Amino acid sequence: MDQHLLLSTLARANANAVKAFAEDFIPDLEPITVVVNRTGLAMLPMEETVSGETFYLGEVLLSEAHVQISGAEGYAACLGRDLEQALAIALLDAAYAAGHNRARIAAFVDSQAAALDSADAVFGQQVEQTRVELETF
Amino acid sequence: MAYVAARGGEQAIAAAEELHTTLNGPLSAVLVQSIERHLPYLVDRVMGEGSLYAPDLAALALAQTGGDLYEAVLLLRAYRSTQPRITYALPVRQSELRTVRRISAAFKDIPGGQILGPSLDYSHRLLRLDVLDDALSIEDRKEEPPALSIERCSMLNAPLPAVADWQRENGLLAPLPDRDPCDPSALPDVTREPISFPAPRAHRLQSLARADTGGVLALGYASMRGYGMSHPTVNELRLGYAEVTLRHPVTGVAFSAGRVRVSQAEIVDTGAGAPGDAPLRLGFTATIGWNEVKTIAGAMLDLEMSAPNPHPAHQEEFVLYHTEPVESSGFCIHYKLPHYVTFGSALDNLRKAAKTGETL
Repeated sequence: MDQHLLLSTLARANANAVKAFAEDFIPDLEPITVVVNRTGLAMLPMEETVSGETFYLGEVLLSEAHVQISGAEGYAACLGRDLEQALAIALLDAAYAAGHNRARIAAFVDSQAAALDSADAVFGQQVEQTRVELETF
Repeated sequence: MAYVAARGGEQAIAAAEELHTTLNGPLSAVLVQSIERHLPYLVDRVMGEGSLYAPDLAALALAQTGGDLYEAVLLLRAYRSTQPRITYALPVRQSELRTVRRISAAFKDIPGGQILGPSLDYSHRLLRLDVLDDALSIEDRKEEPPALSIERCSMLNAPLPAVADWQRENGLLAPLPDRDPCDPSALPDVTREPISFPAPRAHRLQSLARADTGGVLALGYASMRGYGMSHPTVNELRLGYAEVTLRHPVTGVAFSAGRVRVSQAEIVDTGAGAPGDAPLRLGFTATIGWNEVKTIAGAMLDLEMSAPNPHPAHQEEFVLYHTEPVESSGFCIHYKLPHYVTFGSALDNLRKAAKTGETL
């Protein structure tokens, strides 16, 4: 499992499930240093289609966390103000980087990814139903 | 400018606030969640003009102000100013949007097809009085949509090609210039530097992205009604979700922190350029949240502002200064504040003029 999948999946996953899962890891990861755990903004640039220039669309409220454990660092950012969710993901990122319970973490991420993919597929079906063929007379 | 010190109003102010709450109902988490869930287009409008994607906070701002849009936008902008900018996301590209609505009024057979998406555009504009009469919500009456095959679903997940790409391939639009990859942290930013005219294109589009929907519509509508120089068509309108892609500060790996709703519109018009120029011209606007009126009117204004000798109401300085929602609404409501000294001074001048027979 790559880091992209872990961070991208858990940022959109059910926050309570992520927190509960990460809670189990804390005793094994001690001592934990929380370098950063705060809310802040990410500026979101966008490429326009007239001349290909990039401009700022606006900012996005994020929670971020940066942690250190023995032998590894972890980082996470997710939309909104849930600092605990960001901290939980950063701990799992650090745990995975340090080789703690990799199989268990991968299985959890895969299950969350499958749930998100399933929800995307259902929504995709609903959108697909609105496809229209137009004719002129 | 003179100031007046007011005394004795503290109790009246507290009573005014209490009366506001009495009339509008108590503020609660349930109310905020309900606004976020059931009024997403209103929430999007506050986020777009507030220039901050935070649906729960935009819903809170609406709840707290009783739905006063300008006050809600002000609250969100004020909150934004308390937060540090911690990073810059990678640029959003049209080709990478998870599109849920994409229509073109210029061509019916666009590559990838026309997707109506979540829309009431093609529905009767009639109040559903039966909902009130039967005390049943529309959701309660909704039937389960029929299941679709996985094959059809996979079609949707394929990227929808841009109409403009097809037009460029066919020589209808000028090709996109070659550009070096940009540094997302080094773009012109209206929140950190004053805008000057002619504005960099990045300033223009950022200003339109956070502009007042009503203001953009009013000026855009003036163009549509005939004060403008063009009669454009919607080339492509998209609503979708954009990934907020960040880089891990330790490993450099790109990842998504989540998805945000965005909308963008392209307007196309026939040239009026120099001989040899491409026959079509595009205007563009995008914003945070789903807001079709603002992006269509904004794209028309983008086209007008780029035209030589635009109507005074479509000059860049006029458009960008007068569609800034917090500055314009703030200036408007400041007239409610005590002006006793300035107005009294004007009256004194009138009385003096009356005595001496002068006219002011």
